[in-house]
Amino acid sequence: MVWRSSRKVEEGEIHMSEFEEIVEKARSVVEPLVDEYIILANVKSEAMIKLAHGEISVVQSWKDLNLNMYIAKSERIGIYTINVKRLEDDIKKAVSDLEKVEKSPFYAPLPKPSGSSSEEVDPKIKEAVESGDLSFVIEDLELKDVGDAAGMISLSLSNEYLLSSSGARYTSSITKFNGYIRVFKGNSSGQWSWTSTKYNISAAKNAIGMAKELAEECSKLPRTRFEPGTYRVLLGPMIVGNLMEEVASAASAGMVVFGMSFFTGRKPGDTVASENLTLKDVPLNRELPGFRTYDQEGVGTKDKHIIEKGVFRGFLHNSKTAKLLGGETTGNAGWIMPQAFNLEIGKGDLKNDEIFEALRNGYFLTNNWYTRFQNYLEGTFSTVTRDAAFKVEGGKPVACVERVRIADSLPRILKSVEGLTKERWPIEWWEVTIPTLTPYMLLSEVRLTVPQ
Amino acid sequence: MSLINDIEVKDLEEAVGRLSVNGASYGEVRFHRNKILSITIMNGVVLGIGRETREGYGIRSIVSGGLGFASTNNLSKEGLNEALNRSLSAARAASKGISRKIEMAPARLGRASYSVTPKRSFEDEPIDVKISRLREAYKSLELSKNSFKVTSVNIVYRESIEEKVIVTSDGALIESRIPRISVFYNISAQYEGKRANRWFQVGGSGGLEVLEENKLDKLMAEDIESLYINLVKAKSPPKGVMDVVLSPEIVGLAVHESSGHPSEADRIMGREAAQAGLSYRTFYKGTRIGSRYVTVVDDPTIPGSYGFYLYDDEGVAARARYLYRNGELGELLHNRETASVYGTESNGAARAMDYRSEPIVRMANTYFMPGDYTFEELIEDIKEGVYIKKYMEWNIDDIRWGQRYVGLEAYIIRNGELKEPVRDVALEVTTREFYTSIDAVGKDLRFYAGTCGKGEPAQGVPVWFGGPHVRLRRVRFI
Repeated sequence: MVWRSSRKVEEGEIHMSEFEEIVEKARSVVEPLVDEYIILANVKSEAMIKLAHGEISVVQSWKDLNLNMYIAKSERIGIYTINVKRLEDDIKKAVSDLEKVEKSPFYAPLPKPSGSSSEEVDPKIKEAVESGDLSFVIEDLELKDVGDAAGMISLSLSNEYLLSSSGARYTSSITKFNGYIRVFKGNSSGQWSWTSTKYNISAAKNAIGMAKELAEECSKLPRTRFEPGTYRVLLGPMIVGNLMEEVASAASAGMVVFGMSFFTGRKPGDTVASENLTLKDVPLNRELPGFRTYDQEGVGTKDKHIIEKGVFRGFLHNSKTAKLLGGETTGNAGWIMPQAFNLEIGKGDLKNDEIFEALRNGYFLTNNWYTRFQNYLEGTFSTVTRDAAFKVEGGKPVACVERVRIADSLPRILKSVEGLTKERWPIEWWEVTIPTLTPYMLLSEVRLTVPQ
Repeated sequence: MSLINDIEVKDLEEAVGRLSVNGASYGEVRFHRNKILSITIMNGVVLGIGRETREGYGIRSIVSGGLGFASTNNLSKEGLNEALNRSLSAARAASKGISRKIEMAPARLGRASYSVTPKRSFEDEPIDVKISRLREAYKSLELSKNSFKVTSVNIVYRESIEEKVIVTSDGALIESRIPRISVFYNISAQYEGKRANRWFQVGGSGGLEVLEENKLDKLMAEDIESLYINLVKAKSPPKGVMDVVLSPEIVGLAVHESSGHPSEADRIMGREAAQAGLSYRTFYKGTRIGSRYVTVVDDPTIPGSYGFYLYDDEGVAARARYLYRNGELGELLHNRETASVYGTESNGAARAMDYRSEPIVRMANTYFMPGDYTFEELIEDIKEGVYIKKYMEWNIDDIRWGQRYVGLEAYIIRNGELKEPVRDVALEVTTREFYTSIDAVGKDLRFYAGTCGKGEPAQGVPVWFGGPHVRLRRVRFI
């Protein structure tokens, strides 16, 4: 196992050989009882600092061992979290459930394994998580100089073991360093995030610097009243990340099956966006914490286009959705829902100092939350901006507006992508749950509203 | 004798003692188990079954004013000890450089054991009978009407038992067991190239009776009718200033979003500023937010409710909280930390989703207090207005001020009568405009189930929200 280490075993800690024994025991119990199984065991350690008003509000620490299992018998399927203490009983109960249900329309034979084990571990993160000493992080980030700030800083180490009846036997070990900071200056605020598999202190400091700069810039400008309408809009990476995650979700074949995708009826080759837009799922990007070399069915992952220069390249599949809708697995399993692991939006040619000039007249929006769909099948939605939002006239920010709402449809927004920056930022936070490398995005037409 | 027979209370008491001996001015150990069965039905056929038991210890310590939380799902004594040490280390780390030392306010701490006793326990029905019920609900539906077609119906049934033992260093000892049922469904439909969907959740505490009382077949049939009206019958919505009558479904959501959330004290003091945001109550000048008809209550103690509890996750006795009373801003929702900051007592609003979650300030069952109008009386003097019956889209800004609701099913009101349906009518108002525009309140209180998200890592907890029909005068539709 790549994660079988000689690290010190402390009282109460989960010993790696014990971890293997648990998986092996689960295998020996389940194998004679079912046609197919996948055992996915995970040991995760995480530590998190939460900040409010520039000070620590709580430090949290987690250590868990989880044993999850997919089983199939006579084309009936079930997904279970198995309690290690009650392993035999839990597995027998799971199998007896399947004897009482009918064949699942979702069933498909497990695909041939084609993944590989992987390791992407930053020793500094591993050591910090294992020791619980995060004091150096606060010092490294120089947070005491930021002023009134809230946010979160997290470090984690995840060890995983996947074993299946189809012959998959893979391990992965990955570290993660991510967080986000919201900086307040007077009535203004700015927020930014970062994510990495490494202790990438420069990405974190960049994010803090961006949040601070946005808050300061907005605090220098007057507030202006906003009139609802259709405008040219520049979206910051935090918003682009959120909206592109929704696009990637709609590209999951599972969302089509569940009747919740605006890509329903689309075929590979259809034009769905401006030719300026390229969106990829990049599980093999080692810098982003969604990095993985096998999916939950043991299929090897690969980087792939979801949208390439405006053209839809296909749905994300596991073996079940591929069978149901026609196609091949794309190595994006989830046992039920196919999913993207890391997202990357293609870069453009705008330089950072050209973005206001490119926008010329319109609004520059930097952060959002609470994205909700009026109609998943048509992609109509709204989302509320927060933090710095600038009115731009003649290529210069002239005022700030507050809590404007984007109320439009994603298919329309995809077609109005006019430009993207060269530089991209690694984003992950509350509203961007898939690690995403994203530029700024210039849109020619977006409907904006606000209560009058 | 413990309510939860595989957990020894004395082990938790000893653990809390260890926290105190090792320098914690406050210690709290919670055993927390969520046992869940889920059944997913796609177009009347079982897609799959899931069972999950999440169980472990969640431990909080305060050392030198710093707050630390640690969890483990290793239930051995060694596992518990290791997590105790991590909690203490976390608290020590959190104490560095802080100017405000965290304290727990005095509170009405309980030493009690309680459980919700279902009328019909989950074990009364084997899984195949539960599946049959869900399948029958699907089979009863009319799935097409000329060119209108329901393209998919997906149902997720979920039964859970939540068990907790909470011990604190200042004397709380609470044992509880709460069974719950919830059902989510999504219905998609199409008509002549137009498509729409309706997502809905029902839920309550109790046993199988929760499913029986909610009449899934009737709810889904009504939602298919709503989709039919939206896609086939409804016309473009009106714009401009008009009177509006909102259904209990929308009123319930509105009070959750614009009364409950902004009344959370941790949000007001900035602890959630980078996540769920702040509250307009942080900045608001004045004490009045609405008309005299506006009273909003959050009450965890409603029997059968989805957000039911009698003691919170810090061991504090639960009670009803009046968030808005006759249009005036009322009390805040507090846990013991925020109560200490505000110089008051906790009113029992600390909740944790599972053993991996710290208890934070949460709502339980939030509702608009009913009045005495019938629906007919609410609309009888409206010359030109809108009745919004169901919604799909909604959101609110991060200070809980600007909010938006888009109707899935809505009707024109003309000369006191419901007339033609309108599609996707959008109501976008501020919190003050919403509550000050209310001039009449119905007497028909209804509750709806939801999963409320907050915290970092995000925690989803079961809640109810509800209200009667209400009438708002002269609001703007865009």
